[in-house]
Amino acid sequence: MLEAIYSLPFLIFEVPHLKLRKPSWIAMPQPMTVFILVLVSYFLVTGGIIYDVIVEPPSVGSTTDEHGHSRPVAFMAYRVNGQYIMEGLASSFMFGIGALGFIILDHTHNPATKKFNRGLLIFMGFFCIIVSSFACYAFMKIKLPGYMQG
Amino acid sequence: MPKHVSRNDSSPGPLGVKSLVIFTVLLLAWMAGFLSRLFAVIRFESIIHEFDPWFNYRSTAHMVQHGFYNFLNWFDERAWYPLGRIVGGTVYPGLMVTSGSIHYVLSLLNIPVHIRDICVFLAPIFSGLTAISTYLLTKEIWSTGAGLFAACFIAVVPGYISRSVAGSYDNEGIAIFALMFTFYLWVKSVKTGSLFWSCLTSLSYFYMVSAWGGYVYIINLIPLHVLVLLIMGRFSSRLYTAYSSFFILGLVCSMQIPFVGFQPIRTSEHMAAAGVFVLINAVAVLQHIQSRMSKSDFRSVFYAACAIAAGVVFLAVVLLTYFGFIAPWSGRFYSLWDTGYAKIHIPIIASVSEHQPTTWFSFFFDLHILIATFPAGLWYCIKHVTDERVFIVLFAVSAVYFAGVMVRLMLTLTPVVCVLSGVAFSKLFEVYLKDEAPQRSNLESSEDEEERTNKYDKAGKLRKMKHEQTANSESLGSNIRTLVILAVLMMLMMFTVHCTWVTSNAYSSPSIVLASYGQDGSRQILDDFREAYYWLSQNTPEQARVMSWWDYGYQIAGMANRTTLVDNNTWNNSHIALVGKAMSSNESAAYEIMTALDVDYVLVIFGGVIGYSGDDINKFLWMVRIAEGEHPKDIRESDYFTERGEFRVDSEGSPTLLNCLMYKLSYYRFGELKLDFRSAAGFDRTRNAVIGNKDISLTYLDEAYTTEHWLVRIYRVKKPDEFNRPQLPSLAKKRKIKSSKKDLERDINRKKRGAIRNRPVVVKGQRPKTKAT
Repeated sequence: MLEAIYSLPFLIFEVPHLKLRKPSWIAMPQPMTVFILVLVSYFLVTGGIIYDVIVEPPSVGSTTDEHGHSRPVAFMAYRVNGQYIMEGLASSFMFGIGALGFIILDHTHNPATKKFNRGLLIFMGFFCIIVSSFACYAFMKIKLPGYMQG
Repeated sequence: MPKHVSRNDSSPGPLGVKSLVIFTVLLLAWMAGFLSRLFAVIRFESIIHEFDPWFNYRSTAHMVQHGFYNFLNWFDERAWYPLGRIVGGTVYPGLMVTSGSIHYVLSLLNIPVHIRDICVFLAPIFSGLTAISTYLLTKEIWSTGAGLFAACFIAVVPGYISRSVAGSYDNEGIAIFALMFTFYLWVKSVKTGSLFWSCLTSLSYFYMVSAWGGYVYIINLIPLHVLVLLIMGRFSSRLYTAYSSFFILGLVCSMQIPFVGFQPIRTSEHMAAAGVFVLINAVAVLQHIQSRMSKSDFRSVFYAACAIAAGVVFLAVVLLTYFGFIAPWSGRFYSLWDTGYAKIHIPIIASVSEHQPTTWFSFFFDLHILIATFPAGLWYCIKHVTDERVFIVLFAVSAVYFAGVMVRLMLTLTPVVCVLSGVAFSKLFEVYLKDEAPQRSNLESSEDEEERTNKYDKAGKLRKMKHEQTANSESLGSNIRTLVILAVLMMLMMFTVHCTWVTSNAYSSPSIVLASYGQDGSRQILDDFREAYYWLSQNTPEQARVMSWWDYGYQIAGMANRTTLVDNNTWNNSHIALVGKAMSSNESAAYEIMTALDVDYVLVIFGGVIGYSGDDINKFLWMVRIAEGEHPKDIRESDYFTERGEFRVDSEGSPTLLNCLMYKLSYYRFGELKLDFRSAAGFDRTRNAVIGNKDISLTYLDEAYTTEHWLVRIYRVKKPDEFNRPQLPSLAKKRKIKSSKKDLERDINRKKRGAIRNRPVVVKGQRPKTKAT
């Protein structure tokens, strides 16, 4: 019965002799590709790229020292709701380094890895995490001199 | 901190021990979350914070006093004078109902608690529920251990604490719980495909709709999840059951909230859900046909159906929008996509500081170490993808984007960051605490390996055993492993220290009571706001109308109980623009507006004496911008800048600025004041400048009250029969600041005497009687 209903449209239409093939370049993206895309956009967003687009701050600030020379300043100090473009990118780079460190640490338990490589990987991941956390702490200290005191 | 306990959860054993550990960790997380939100209560007192919470508190008190149905029908004539506000139809009542029902249950149990205390402590209590629902969600997505980590993170993470400290009685406090619980139930219903769970999802969604406008996020994220699953070819009958029942029930439920009403079927924000509903049904039908047909027949049917369906849906949406059945996207929603939109078209949205785009600082400040572990967790979820992990990935990606657009939406990013960081940490600890076996796996079969891991797990509870075992094995790194673990634990400790520090220093200020710290660390409480509001409530007639900038509307209504012109519910832009125009015009032009609006008192916030930066002069440019939007002929922003384009209050400032009402009211008699011996008279500490116009005289207004630190200044608007009398200026000069009693008497006298008043009336309709004192 159902077949009769299904074949109804074909009384009117003739099935075209089309050969639609899914183009070879459309495929489910690899997990790694997706992740890289996500990570890059994460890098940009945490760096405040949307802030940069809307507010349009200079890429690096400048200040005048006591001799009257103009000197570049990387960080907009004391201002919590403001940033320079480079400052944002530098900090989000540090976030990214930290994230990479954690991902590298995960790779160390792959059984195929050799002993030396494993040690190297652990060291690398560890190093990344430490560097990133210290750098972030230092950045916070510049932005907010009273950070973590009292 | 409870975090460290959660390592033990992976240890198997009798079920009792495991659930005891889970229970303990969750309990500790709840307690830690609750206690760390109490800074404000301990330092100050149990009061409602900020601005919006005052309205929520006021309407909760109204509901408790008059009952739920009277609350739904409440017409508030004290707000938006002379328009009034239909409160019942313009609020999300979930918050009020929640605390009202807690109050009701407690009073049934004969526990007398003031409704204010329930309101103050509601958000901290709900933070524990949020932790539990985050645990449940993470458990569904990854594992129990990850869930416990996530629960501990969400309990103390600053991004969530910022909205849920004791006293910040706002929608977000309960909405994040509703959000996470809805997501948990959704994931559960996708996993099981049972009608029971999807019904619960829609009930929880109903609670979310009643609590917060952010429900739009859910109704877009869940269809997005379904859509992506369809594209990935992961359609299943479970998904079909879950989504179709959720959509229908959720739609019907959400339309029961008066404020939402018919929006779910009429506005573009909700159309994605409907479109996906059509799509999933189409896919289901096609799947069914496919099972009944030969392959070649099916293919042609498929393409024809796809093309027709896409065309019909597209045409339908376009036509419906064109003929006005579907409202186009609202401005607030639109500003999320076109980020410059608000800045150009809706200054009132752009003027709110929490609608500013986010800098890197806020990300780190609110999330700390989690910002780095979040991508790691995301990596695990993408690598081992399942239906529900697709959901969390979509949640993560969209929330990151929204958090970048608005500081305020850090709030929706925070829970997903906690979930994914929980995953990352749990994986890391899994690898480094128990995974010793792979070192020798080259020699051994996989079965042995499994046994071994199990054995280690049993031993895992005892640290000593583990050390012995690792020492025996020839792996490179018991030392390195221990080092890594220690370092990560240190980092978690830093995280908790950071959270506590941020909570205590940044997010625990009631902003009604200010505290300043002297050189020697002594603390001074500046209670000027409440002083001024109390003065208003005691010394002005009951029906007096107070004009202020909209930020203070809710507070005036809540604490002083006086009629306001505009408040934080910024629904009427032109009314706000009128107030902005009055503030930015000169005195005589402002007087016309003020008499037209029946203003009795004007209230301004002035921070120049104590260096308070959030005062009205600093907000002044927004008033000008908003006024310019509605009255471009009378107000021009460029008039308020100097020729070099600077906004200055000193003598080089533009003359328009130096003579506008806001400037005069803020700096009236300020030129006579010497703050200390070094600085000149009239030195403004907030803007670090000596004011330009020291000799201010007011013709149409009269200083009524100035608080101790000059933070709030209240002026009385003279009636038309008063200001051209010759003796008044001398009278005004003689009067001291705090002659409140005399003022009251005069007010009453004036009211009696002023029987013949010929002030112009704007609104033709009936006004409430003004002489009801």
